[in-house]
Amino acid sequence: MDSIDLARLQFATTTSFHFLFVLLTLGLVTMVTITQTRYALRGHEVLGRMTRFWGRLYVVNYALGIVTGIVMEFQFGLNWSGLSTYAGDIFGAPLAIETLVAFFLESTFLGLWIFGWGRMNKWLHLATIWIVMLTAYASAFWIMAANSFLQNPVGYREEGGVLRLAEFGALLTNPLFVNALPHVLGAALLTGGVFVVGVSAHHFLRRSDEVDFFARSMRTGVVVSTAGALVTVAFGVAQFPAVTRLQPDKLGTPATGSALGFMIMIGYFYFFAAPFALLFLPRLRIARARWLLRLMVWAIPLPFLAAILGWLVREIGRQPWLIYGKLTTADAATSLDPVHVAVSFVAFLLLFAALAVADWTLLSRLARRGPEPSVTPGV
Amino acid sequence: MELFFWAVLGLLSAGYFALAGYDYGAGMLLRFLGRDEAGRRRALGAVGPFFLGNEVWLVAAVGLLFGAFPRWESKVFAGAYLIVVVLLLGLVSFTAAVQLRSRRPDAGRGAWDGLITVGALVTTVCWGLFLGVLVRGLPADGPVPLADPYLAVWGLGFVALLLLHGATFLAVRGDAALAARARRIALRLVPVVAGFVAAVALWTGLSPSITSTVDSALPGPAVLGVAVLALAATFTGLLTRRPRLALPATMVLSALPVTLAGTLRFPDLVVSMDLYEAAAADATLDVLAVVTPPAVLLVALTQWLTWRWQRRPVDQRTLLHF
Repeated sequence: MDSIDLARLQFATTTSFHFLFVLLTLGLVTMVTITQTRYALRGHEVLGRMTRFWGRLYVVNYALGIVTGIVMEFQFGLNWSGLSTYAGDIFGAPLAIETLVAFFLESTFLGLWIFGWGRMNKWLHLATIWIVMLTAYASAFWIMAANSFLQNPVGYREEGGVLRLAEFGALLTNPLFVNALPHVLGAALLTGGVFVVGVSAHHFLRRSDEVDFFARSMRTGVVVSTAGALVTVAFGVAQFPAVTRLQPDKLGTPATGSALGFMIMIGYFYFFAAPFALLFLPRLRIARARWLLRLMVWAIPLPFLAAILGWLVREIGRQPWLIYGKLTTADAATSLDPVHVAVSFVAFLLLFAALAVADWTLLSRLARRGPEPSVTPGV
Repeated sequence: MELFFWAVLGLLSAGYFALAGYDYGAGMLLRFLGRDEAGRRRALGAVGPFFLGNEVWLVAAVGLLFGAFPRWESKVFAGAYLIVVVLLLGLVSFTAAVQLRSRRPDAGRGAWDGLITVGALVTTVCWGLFLGVLVRGLPADGPVPLADPYLAVWGLGFVALLLLHGATFLAVRGDAALAARARRIALRLVPVVAGFVAAVALWTGLSPSITSTVDSALPGPAVLGVAVLALAATFTGLLTRRPRLALPATMVLSALPVTLAGTLRFPDLVVSMDLYEAAAADATLDVLAVVTPPAVLLVALTQWLTWRWQRRPVDQRTLLHF
């Protein structure tokens, strides 16, 4: 295995971990924002406790999203210096905007939200989580815009062997961007919704006393999952014409073909299952449908799996190009000692795997422990 | 335009070291300052409200580096490959451990504490090495030579510098017992940091291989002058039990190495690459110019608000209790 393969594996591993965390981040922050907004408007104590419970799970998940993201950001310069030399002028712009406008604000306001609990004016505190949510969506927007440029380069002019920015707006109307963005955002909503539904189902199965708490959570979760599933499938289907026109070879390889097929199966499963669960919501019939609850718990990992598969289709289908038709992956790679790349790949892989297991163990323990009894101190 | 973005990049990186620098310092001191669980919770709780807001300055700086100076970015990171990889491993461990360590009330925390201390130490040493490489000057081609005692001075000296910064921060934000202990540690570190400043000044000024790549005689002595003033202010503030005066001084001190790296050869960035070759073309910079000033202003404002709002120590009611 040469240093290019190792660098690709390293990037794929980092991105996969990153994707697993940010997907749930986007979905959960939406759930938390909805719940806190209802709490601010209605003032039911249970809505406040729901915000804290789901908010804590969100924050634990967020921690690993940051660190994997930092590593990705550095990897462009470390392993893919050909990309920044050749197309940094264009590819760098949306990435820089993402970090400056979206992520910078998201993290800063998340800090305010976490530590502003009980200290800030209620509406000001609500405004901070709204800003966190909107900047999280803005992050997805700019990252997808940057990725879409790699899939289908637009808005550039070639000058002295490098690409220069000719029309910024073209990056945002890229045919491989406009449908992919809602597809990914829908998938994030679905993931967050399915997570909340699964955890709530677990507590119903254990006959928790917190019936009202988890009934409300379950209702929000099912509604959000249904919306997410519809958006995901609709904009997934809508991508086919542009993809077959602009990247004709993409879906033909055995690897992308089977990944695509499996992802579509999972997508359609939720497309029908989520609205079906809606039927069980009135008068809490869902609490008695134990087979359905069990299914809901087991279904928590499926959206993550589908997201990774979809991402593999998008990225493997681009090979051997890094920028489709313009720059090959081989030409973009930094010439490095393969031993260095191998060592750093193994080190990142082990560290991420260990941290991910620790984080998911923590998440599942916190989720299973359930909400705080009332307004006792949080830890 | 290139100059403007170089200044903003300087501001973001200086902000990162001035703010996140005390996170790493406090992380390295965790086991010395917090002898028991309650003590460590208080030390981490003092950093807690600022933590997320501090670390993002790095992400913003690297993002801007990629957007505005793509050719310089690949040069420095790929050139110092091993340093940057080890730096990231330390940074990831530290950042994740600080956020996850206290999430379960009934769980053991020894492993997380170890990750915090070691992660902060590795991060600090690597930043010292990286900045030392930049000040020494990147070669035009090929990998950066790492076996150099000059870099060892940077690695160790930077540890002393951020330890001083972290201790000074805790002397301001900690409760009475913690603050007193942190102040004593900080006072003992001042001479060590003075030694680091003197060693770097002499070695950099007298080494022909470094001075031959520097055209202007101004930046080096100017940075040294500010460093001496800041050290004096730190020492006075600590000695007279007014750590609030010492903290701005250690912030300046922590931001000086990156300032030196960015100004020493200006407008050359590495040997044979100047600011204008490294920068993106005007069309890209024009786009970035729309979003950069409001974003930086807003973040500076929220930093200030965080500082104002968190006058009370962290209590049990905060959602993410460190």
